[in-house]
Formats: sequence, C-alpha cells, structure tokens
Amino acid sequence: MIDFSPIHDLLGRLLPFECLQARFMQQALLGLLLIAPMAAAMGVQVVNLRMAFFADAISHSAFAGVALGLILAVGPQWTMPLFGLLVGLAIMALQRRSTLSTDAVIGVVFAAVVAFGLAIVSRQPNIARDLQRFLYGDILTIGDHGIRSLAALFVAVFVFQIWGYNRLLYIGLNPVVAQTHGVQVTTYQYAFAGLTALVVIFSIWAVGVLLVTALLIVPAAAARGFARSAGSTFWWAMLVSVTSAVAGLLISAQPWARTATGPTIILCAFGWFLVSQLYAALRQ
Amino acid sequence: MQHLETSPDHSTVSPSAKAVVFEQVSVRLNNVSILEDVTATVPRGEITAVVGPNGAGKTTLLLALLGQVPFSGNIRTERAAAGRPCNVGYVPQRLQFDRGLPITVCDLLVMGCQRIPLWLGIRRAWRSQARELLAAVRAEHLERRRLGVLSGGEIQRIMLALALAQTPDLLVLDEPAGGVDIQGGQMFCELLERLRRERAFTPLMVTHDLATVTHHATHVIMLNRRVVAEGPPRAVLTPQNLGAVFGMHMGLADARALPDGSSTCTCPQCGEKRHD
Repeated sequence: MIDFSPIHDLLGRLLPFECLQARFMQQALLGLLLIAPMAAAMGVQVVNLRMAFFADAISHSAFAGVALGLILAVGPQWTMPLFGLLVGLAIMALQRRSTLSTDAVIGVVFAAVVAFGLAIVSRQPNIARDLQRFLYGDILTIGDHGIRSLAALFVAVFVFQIWGYNRLLYIGLNPVVAQTHGVQVTTYQYAFAGLTALVVIFSIWAVGVLLVTALLIVPAAAARGFARSAGSTFWWAMLVSVTSAVAGLLISAQPWARTATGPTIILCAFGWFLVSQLYAALRQ
Repeated sequence: MQHLETSPDHSTVSPSAKAVVFEQVSVRLNNVSILEDVTATVPRGEITAVVGPNGAGKTTLLLALLGQVPFSGNIRTERAAAGRPCNVGYVPQRLQFDRGLPITVCDLLVMGCQRIPLWLGIRRAWRSQARELLAAVRAEHLERRRLGVLSGGEIQRIMLALALAQTPDLLVLDEPAGGVDIQGGQMFCELLERLRRERAFTPLMVTHDLATVTHHATHVIMLNRRVVAEGPPRAVLTPQNLGAVFGMHMGLADARALPDGSSTCTCPQCGEKRHD
C-alpha cells in the first residue's frame, strides 16, 4: 500500500498555513488536488459536448447508489461509483437509440434514479447523517483509502485526456465529420460517459450532490471567457479549478468563515467566472 | 507479384471507372420510406451532382454512403488508385456547431491529425500542413481566427480544407453552395474544380441549386426518393424531368445556362466543356 504521509507533510510545508498543519486538512487538500484537475479536464469536454445535464443526472444517481448499498449490505464506496457508471452508460446507450431528444432521455433516467434512491432511503430513518454528507460533500473526512481510489481514477482520466482530447473535441464540433475522419465516435462517447460518471461520483466527496455539476461546468465556462484556442481552454480550466479548490479549502477553515468546504470552492470558481466574463467583455 | 499486372490498371482513369456504386439502396426511418431502390453510379474523376427537391432523400443518400444511417442494399466504394481503401472526405451542409467553442481554424485543421493533445501544443509539421491546406482554399489569413466568428462562406472553405486533410479519393459535399450568396457559391465551385484537377479526387455533391449543376457537374443523379434520371446534365435536366420532379415548369432551355444569365464564362472548365 502506498504511504501518502510524505506527500501530506510536503503539502503542509509548501502551504504553511496554520490550518493546514492538521493531518485531515492535508488529506483533504491532497484529495482536492486530485479531484479538481479531473473535474476541470472532463468539464471542458462536458461543456463542449453539451452534457451538463448528463453530469447532473449522474450526481443524483448517488442516492440510488447509496440505497442499493443498503439493500445489498455493501459499502456505498462500491455501489455509488458502480451504479453511477451504469447510469452513465445506460443514458448514452438510450440516447443513441431512442428517438427522444437527449434532454428528455436524461430527464427520464434522472427521475427514475432519484425516485428509487429516495424511496429506499425514506424507509431508513437512521441515515440522515449520510444523506447530509452526500448533499454537501465531506472532503474533510477523506481517508487514505479514498485518496488511493482518487489517484487511480486520476491516472485513468489523464491517460484518456492525452489519448482522446483532440478526438473528443472533434466529436464536439461535428460527430459525422469526425467519423469520416476516422474517429471511433461510439467508442469515445462510451468511454467519455463512463469516465465522466466516475469523476462526478468521486467529486461528490468534494462538493456534494447539489454542486458537483458546478465543479465540472464553472471552470470550463470561465476558461471559455479567457481562452482563445482549444489548448489554452484546457489550461485555464485547470487553473480556475485548482486555485478555487485550494482557496475554498483554506477559506472554509478560517475562523471568520467557518463555511462548508464544497460551497466555498464553488463560490471561488464563480468569482473566476465573473472575472472571465468581464475580461471577455473588455476584449471585444 | 506477376499477377498484379493483369489486374485493371488504376493509374490511368478509364472512362468507365466508377468511384461509388449504389445498388438497390433503400432507407426507412421510423417506418417512413426515405429512399427506395436507388441504383446509381458515381463515375471516377467526374463531378457528380445529386439533385432533387426538398425531402427527396439527397442528404440521406450521402449519410448512407458515410455509414451514418442504416440502409438495405449495397454501396460499394471502389479502391483508390494505389489499391488502398477509398478515403472519403465530407463537407457538411452549413456546419452546425457551438459558436462559443474556443477553437481556432488552426486547431480545427490539426485536431484530426495530431495525436498529442492540443494542450501540449501543436507540432510544427502539423502547423505547416494546416497552412498548406489553408493556402489551397485561399484562406491563409484565417489561421488564427476563432471558428465562431467566421462567415458561412469562410466556414465552408475551412471545412473543405479539413476534408482535404484526409487526402480524399472521394469528396462528399452537402449543398456546397447553400448558405452563401451566388457569387460565393460560384467561387466555391471554381475553387473545388481547381482542387479536383490538382489533387485528383472525385467530387460528389448534393444540391438543389440547378445553376451550380449545369455549370459544374458532368454527371447528374436526379433523385426523388427513387432515381428519376441519371446521366450527363443535358440528358437529365430536361423540361419533362424537371417538371415531373420539381412540380413546375423549369424552363431551362439551355442546359448550360449560367446563373447570372451571361453568355460566356471565364472559368477554365467551361471553356473546355464548350468544345463539345
């Protein structure tokens, strides 16, 4: 098993804030440093492919994932990602076959998974605390097990991004043209849906079900305001996402703020978004 | 490999060489018949136009060729001169895309070729290839422009450059003159003609603009869910056929009529055609 303590110590020394000397804060920071770039990278493509609603449906499938865990007596750390992945691939398969519009397909699946989750959860009076964790996020309780899962996903996401960024951009522009140019559109769409589902589920740790879509969308939207090319969009989204995550964590730990970490991160990202819109307006 | 020499020599295009053969192609979508029993050929080296009214299934025929809609029947694309599978380029009708997409013309021309992600930079070889392609469609000045700010005609030329990046043997164009004014459409067709001569591909275009057809095409497939007529423009665009398909009298007395009604044309292929 990998020992993360040297990394934690290094983070504590690199950012010598008083609040960052506690181990749980160092773990939270490391967790965010893994989640933020993944969310930003996938978010750029989610915006390009107009799949924000897709991300929302996946995040809400977390309820059903937890509920399934209760029924099957399996920990939610297994059922949530697996169920999220399943829902993501199911939506992709449905929307490729159905004559319904994409948003209608997602809306139907969305409703089904939320209803299923809430129906099961409503039978269990004692999991209110768990529910709150999913709604608002709970990065401060992330342990080494969580960090390991994130690190594995991080590697998968960036291998995919390096391999497929240009192809996905092409599909976002026009799938038929991409196909005639030899891009395996179907394969990339499924791989993207699956990985996005996993990134969304793991990002719930950071910001909760309600705000997870924002963690993907807001940095990408802000990046569009700053960037002029496809390459720089990616780096701007990275910058916005990582700085927002770190700033959000630090601010939320200040005695004067004492806010939940997730919403604070999103507020920082939204600040970036406002700046980007101002910049775009001034540039024109 | 002695036996290869006995196989048909593709390096010199014989008049009967075919680029695409459609055999009894039918398409049904949601129980509505879009194409019925379409049998037609696209001769290699000629400019083929598919004409017909709205809803005739012109675009569907192209999409079937590109493998984008399920069909019954058979579509054969002949192997290219070098014996490799036929490369198909596609220029869509008025590209629908997100105008806010932060992508430059150069990004667009590189992204289908370069494997390394664009956020790690554009390799010099691909950038110079993009410049060559832009020069080929006379759009060098657009290299750093964002795609979202381009006009319809400019996007059309960029999409042509993108299709050329695939070194096509067959270039499929959906309404190449659609969405641009008559002059723009004319310029585009002349550009296409020059590129066809330089790069030796077979253009297959769908259009409802008969002026483009009479001016540029040498082979016409007239479609109205089924093939109404096929052959040289003069034989296909007869008043009877036009009346039957378009449902009105299209008095196209001279099948060489020019879009602006002038009697002479300066573009090279017209001079050549008029020898006949």
